[in-house]
Amino acid sequence: MAGEILIKPDLQFVKRVIAAGGDTVKKCYQCDTCSVVCNLSPDEKPFPRKEMLQAQWGLKEVLSDPDIWLCHQCSDCTVYCPRGANPGEVLGVLRQMAIEKYATPPVLAKAVGDPKFLPLLIAFPMILLALAAKMFGYLGIPEGEIVYGKMFPTLLIDFIFTGAAAFAVAVLAKGALAFWQDINAPHPWRVKVEGNLAGNLIATLKDILFHNRFRLCETTYKRSTNHLFLVFGFIFLAMVTGLAFYHEWFDPHGQITKVYVTMKLLAIPGTAALLYGIWNLIKERQANAEKAGYGSYYDWFLIYVILVVGATGLLSWLFRLVGIGILAYPTYFLHLTAIFMLFFYAPYTKLAHIVYRTVAMLHARMSGRGF
Amino acid sequence: MNADNKILVIGGGMSGLTAALEAAEAGSQVIITEAGPYLGGRVAQLHRYFPKLCPPTCGLEINFRRIKENPHISFYTMAEVTQVSGSAGNFDVTVKVRPRYVNDRCVACHACAEACPQWRVNDFNYGLDKTKAAYLPYDMAFPQQYVIDKSACSSDCGQKCLEACAYDAIELHQKPQTLNFNVGAIIMASGWEPYDATKMDNLGFGVVANVITNMQMERLAASNGPTGGQILRPSDQQSPKKVAFVQCAGSRDENHLPYCSYICCMASLKQATYVREKAPEAEVYIFYIDIRTPGRYEQFYWKVRDDENVHLIRGKVAKITQEPGTDNVVVVAENTATGNKQSMVFDMVVLAAGMVPSTKASPFPLPLSYTPDGFVIQDLLPPGVYAVGTLKGPLDVTKSVQDGTGAALKSLIALGRRS
Amino acid sequence: MEMEKKYGVYLCKGCGIADAINFESLHKVIKKSGKIQHIKEADILCSPEGRALILKDLKTDGEGINSIVVAACSPRVKYEEFDFPNILVERCNIREQVAWTQEPNNEHTQALAEDYLRMACARIKKAEMPEPYQTECDKTILVIGGGTAGLSAALQAANNGYQVVLVEKEAQLGGFAAKMYRQTPSSYPYTTLQEPVVFKKIQEVQNHPKIKVMTSATLEKLDGEPGLLDATIKVGGDVETLRVGTVVLAAGWKPYDATKLTKLGYGLSKDVITNIEMEEMAKAGKIVRPSDGKAPESVAFIQCAGSRDPEHLPYCSDFCCTASLKQALYVREQNPNAIAYILYKDIRTPGQMELFYKQVQSDPGVMLTKAEIAEVGLGDGGKLRIHATDTLLGENVIFEADLVVLATGMVPRTADEPVLNLGYRQGPGLPDLELFSGFADSNFICFPYETRRTGIYAAGCVHQPMNMAMAMEDGVGAACKAIQAAEHVAAGMAVHPRSWDETFPDPFMQRCTSCKRCTEECPFGAIEEDEKGTPFFKINRCRRCATCMGACPERIISFKDFSVDQIGSMLKSLDVPEIEDEDDPLAPLRVIGLVCENDAYPALDAAAMHKLRLNPMIRFISLRCLGSFNMVWVSDALSRGVDGIILLGCKHGDDYQCHFAKGSELCEYRMSKLSETLDKLGLESDRVIQYQIGHSDFDLLPKLIDDFVARVREIGPNPFKEL
Repeated sequence: MAGEILIKPDLQFVKRVIAAGGDTVKKCYQCDTCSVVCNLSPDEKPFPRKEMLQAQWGLKEVLSDPDIWLCHQCSDCTVYCPRGANPGEVLGVLRQMAIEKYATPPVLAKAVGDPKFLPLLIAFPMILLALAAKMFGYLGIPEGEIVYGKMFPTLLIDFIFTGAAAFAVAVLAKGALAFWQDINAPHPWRVKVEGNLAGNLIATLKDILFHNRFRLCETTYKRSTNHLFLVFGFIFLAMVTGLAFYHEWFDPHGQITKVYVTMKLLAIPGTAALLYGIWNLIKERQANAEKAGYGSYYDWFLIYVILVVGATGLLSWLFRLVGIGILAYPTYFLHLTAIFMLFFYAPYTKLAHIVYRTVAMLHARMSGRGF
Repeated sequence: MNADNKILVIGGGMSGLTAALEAAEAGSQVIITEAGPYLGGRVAQLHRYFPKLCPPTCGLEINFRRIKENPHISFYTMAEVTQVSGSAGNFDVTVKVRPRYVNDRCVACHACAEACPQWRVNDFNYGLDKTKAAYLPYDMAFPQQYVIDKSACSSDCGQKCLEACAYDAIELHQKPQTLNFNVGAIIMASGWEPYDATKMDNLGFGVVANVITNMQMERLAASNGPTGGQILRPSDQQSPKKVAFVQCAGSRDENHLPYCSYICCMASLKQATYVREKAPEAEVYIFYIDIRTPGRYEQFYWKVRDDENVHLIRGKVAKITQEPGTDNVVVVAENTATGNKQSMVFDMVVLAAGMVPSTKASPFPLPLSYTPDGFVIQDLLPPGVYAVGTLKGPLDVTKSVQDGTGAALKSLIALGRRS
Repeated sequence: MEMEKKYGVYLCKGCGIADAINFESLHKVIKKSGKIQHIKEADILCSPEGRALILKDLKTDGEGINSIVVAACSPRVKYEEFDFPNILVERCNIREQVAWTQEPNNEHTQALAEDYLRMACARIKKAEMPEPYQTECDKTILVIGGGTAGLSAALQAANNGYQVVLVEKEAQLGGFAAKMYRQTPSSYPYTTLQEPVVFKKIQEVQNHPKIKVMTSATLEKLDGEPGLLDATIKVGGDVETLRVGTVVLAAGWKPYDATKLTKLGYGLSKDVITNIEMEEMAKAGKIVRPSDGKAPESVAFIQCAGSRDPEHLPYCSDFCCTASLKQALYVREQNPNAIAYILYKDIRTPGQMELFYKQVQSDPGVMLTKAEIAEVGLGDGGKLRIHATDTLLGENVIFEADLVVLATGMVPRTADEPVLNLGYRQGPGLPDLELFSGFADSNFICFPYETRRTGIYAAGCVHQPMNMAMAMEDGVGAACKAIQAAEHVAAGMAVHPRSWDETFPDPFMQRCTSCKRCTEECPFGAIEEDEKGTPFFKINRCRRCATCMGACPERIISFKDFSVDQIGSMLKSLDVPEIEDEDDPLAPLRVIGLVCENDAYPALDAAAMHKLRLNPMIRFISLRCLGSFNMVWVSDALSRGVDGIILLGCKHGDDYQCHFAKGSELCEYRMSKLSETLDKLGLESDRVIQYQIGHSDFDLLPKLIDDFVARVREIGPNPFKEL
């Protein structure tokens, strides 16, 4: 028969989904409640029903399905699912597996998703930073006024973190490209894209910036607000960091010193927003756990890394202001460790969603799926 | 043992009546207690049975005649079993009979209702209309005897019903009565309740006027119902031309009823024929997950499916809202065959609400084992106690009757009766 | 024993009756009919005072009245108040049929009430106290079939003290249940498969002192009537005849012939098997591919193989969905790396079996989808390719599997063979089984054990498609009915639907012409013929519908309280006034309504409850069933001057509602004969008409009757009126 698809289920894939936290995937009996209650899902070929089906049948193609990224895990589906199949959680797991699929090397993604590798993942940046401090700065509590540069000279910081970021960007770019190719490969379940790439990308980014989609969530509406705080927190901090970087490297005559000094204050609301966002996000997740699911270890890994980044950042500043060196330097060290984890592991943690979701939303926009 | 060959049947619905009659016609003494004011239970509220589309009152007529002709059966309406002690062959049972405020001199002349100034919500018609506080449960109620709903009475009505009654039938000072029986076996047959549709906050019942339940649909179609048998939607009493049936409204849903309620598929297919019969141009859509028409019911399914105005869509409805600016109802479902999510506008929507065993809300006054959903676990019943029909799991009328017949024999055995 | 009848008529004035009718002229009408002179009135006849009034007259040392007419409400109400042991009571319904449905105090209403009194008086004069027909009966229960249903029927009947004969055609008891590896769960939480419970039952049956088990045995012949049935049973080469009372038919089912399922690959490859073959393999210990003996890595279950298919079985076989779910677990249990596909039209796990579905579904290796199977073909490497459409996975898809299991459905034993081998004139099997696709099912939702052969009740899968748990319960139910029937025939009482009735047909054989209409028309095959072709009644098979009475052109079949003569006398008792002005729209036409007492009559009562107005020209007479309608009544009525006759009976056809199965249909058949006769006589045949009226159709009645009366008015008055 023309256009027949050979269905090749992979039992191991099903087992992996189950092991990774999608243990409810087999409960789905394809009623479509999830697709209907989802405010984000388009009318044509809506998710997450079809993804649930593919996952429970062990059809690995589901990992290249852009729709798993259109899902913002509002969990409205999970709340209404008549079978307790938790589509929200299962799609989260599929995203995790997709990140792993597109990451290089995938083993790092596996490690990020597995609690027994946690000590290793923490130890790596700590050792790296300790070595760097020992070799180029000062590993210990320096005397006198608290200046973190004593421990880690700016140059060193720039070198390590630009490196980590560059690495992450490269890995993510590779993954994103492969993903883009996959979702545009001919497949009976896929749709074609058309239109101007750049223009659509801008529109998509705008959508993302203001969380236009995320804010359609009902069960986790609060989460979208918290996430917005988090994102703007990051943006503010990124602006300050960027300005600092510019000021340091490209502003030898101090032309923007004034601006920088003023703008530097943005770090305060930035940190506040970040901390407010992440803290409430945690609280919301816990409060909503019964309805929307608690989330997997993989989710919580990122959440705690961000929390630590924010908290240590704030504390480093406070300790420095009050001048308690014995607390300030170790906290700063932890802060850098967390930032390194955030940056370096980005292609493997949930943070990679920034890239894949953007690609998927761009694809959705360009294929007329309402995004 | 002084049980004197008696069987107590709790519940005067179809399975209880059957169990009682089959046992009595096989020679046993039987007592029926019915919590409501009439016998016949849930089936009395149905317009027609599937798949024959015959009126349930026809079979009830035969069963009532069997009761009338059989000296071995006695029954008590408005009666509830409050206490049970003893064991198989020798149970002591306490039955509390609530006052009806009307004695058996009543001739059903309707004078009390005419005089009565107070209204009450008509539970027989699932709240679709009202009756007077003095009322006959329904036109063909057996026994044909009025009831006074004291909770709907006002203190200042001046006992108008009492004055209106020419037959000394009204006793406003009746007190609850306590009866004691010694019986050898007990058959629980207290049936089921429709699931409370307001609990499904996404399906609009109680919020969107023209969303009704399947049992309400039965009353709308019935000639003795609130609309005299015309199917009219609640908001404006217009005949709906496009009707949606939403299957598994509560059933097969862990958030509500994790089991399948057995009858709803056939009930909706049947109700599709009501709509089509009353309004030949009407369109019917049935949204389902699996069509469950076991056994020979399949042919009824085919018959309805072949009607070109009946459309079956595989996909569960998960969102129902009022169309802004109209009385119409918007239904959203994904057609899983085509993979498209559709919003469709209907004149009226019928929720195929499921079955809840009566033991869920009111457990039997003996320590029995129930499933978390309130069903009696048959294997764990004590000797001499039997549960029939929908108390053990959702079931249709025919199979409940089969079950009731079997329970009759088991009770006879428990009495130690020998031919 | 003929008693001397002393009559009394009691008139009730309550419920608006006295406000609508003049009682004085009622007295005159009653007294005019001769014999009946004792008339009393009461304000409220159903009150204790009213009842006392009657009781006083019934005293043998007083008035000694023993036959009374209660002119009050419908016989459907106040039944206890007007129940007097050993007294003939005729209820004359002047409340519902006069006071509540007519204009009060006009000449038409008065005439109507008077006619009802005349008819009631005529009726009671022709009625007698029933005396039960009793014979020495055997109460042994014969159970045909030793599967799940048969075993439980036998066991419970025996536990209730009845002798049981259990006949099983195979060498072993247990049927399909004994051939199973595991059983689907039958109790909460419905999650784990069970060891088959049938073996325990077999043991109980075999050890029960009251059960005679006959294996490798077939029922060759079943002669006689309930209570007096002679079962000829062949065991090996021996033939034995046993006397039994009633029968539980639990002959079970056989799997649908899979060789007819070539489209699904049966016969194409050894690796396409049926669910029965799968079960056998599992029981034998290992599931393998028949072609190479290897354990399959993937097994596809194709649901509805034959079932739900107009080309094969037009019904759902009920058990196959749970059976495949169960067998999918076998596959997974044997090989944790194997995949089991279940390809279904709809998953049917009604009721709490949904919990089992959910449980099986949660197994990672069980893959389910809705699918229509287009074809099963051969693939590479010895695999089978299943081409499917309309799946949840896509419109056209292929599945590959090492083994394909066809979930074949069930065919009841009665589909191809009579099984019962009845020595009845009307045939060896149960009639009309084609209505139920071969199942020995009832046509009645409320009375699922009814068959058209008295004392024979079906259980298990020969009865309806069902699972084992249900079959077990069903066997008990059928046993209950069989016990009840044995007791009733022994007591000389009818069984359903007139299970209280002690009357029976008593033909006046001297006038029988052996026309055989009764033998042919009896819906229950109760009338046989002797060698000379003379009919004789097997009373214990009779359900007392009086269809024979209606069929008999010689009018020789009567019941103590119901006869052709009785209804004829009622018709003759009517007062038929002359029509002075034919064009007067209120000219007193007379129309008779003969109505089914179970459905149309209550519908009339309901019309009265709703205070609907009924046409005053019509007088209703209730019949046990329209099957008892005898054409002579038409000539009785027409010669009396009656202008039209309307018959209100139950729906007939495939979904018939007549509780005697054939009554209203046979009436319609007689009507067709009648119209030929009427046409020949020059009488318009549409003066006599039959309508199908359901119990709940009260709202249709006023118009239906008005229209008929109008039609009769159009035709004009009965020309015989003046004769």
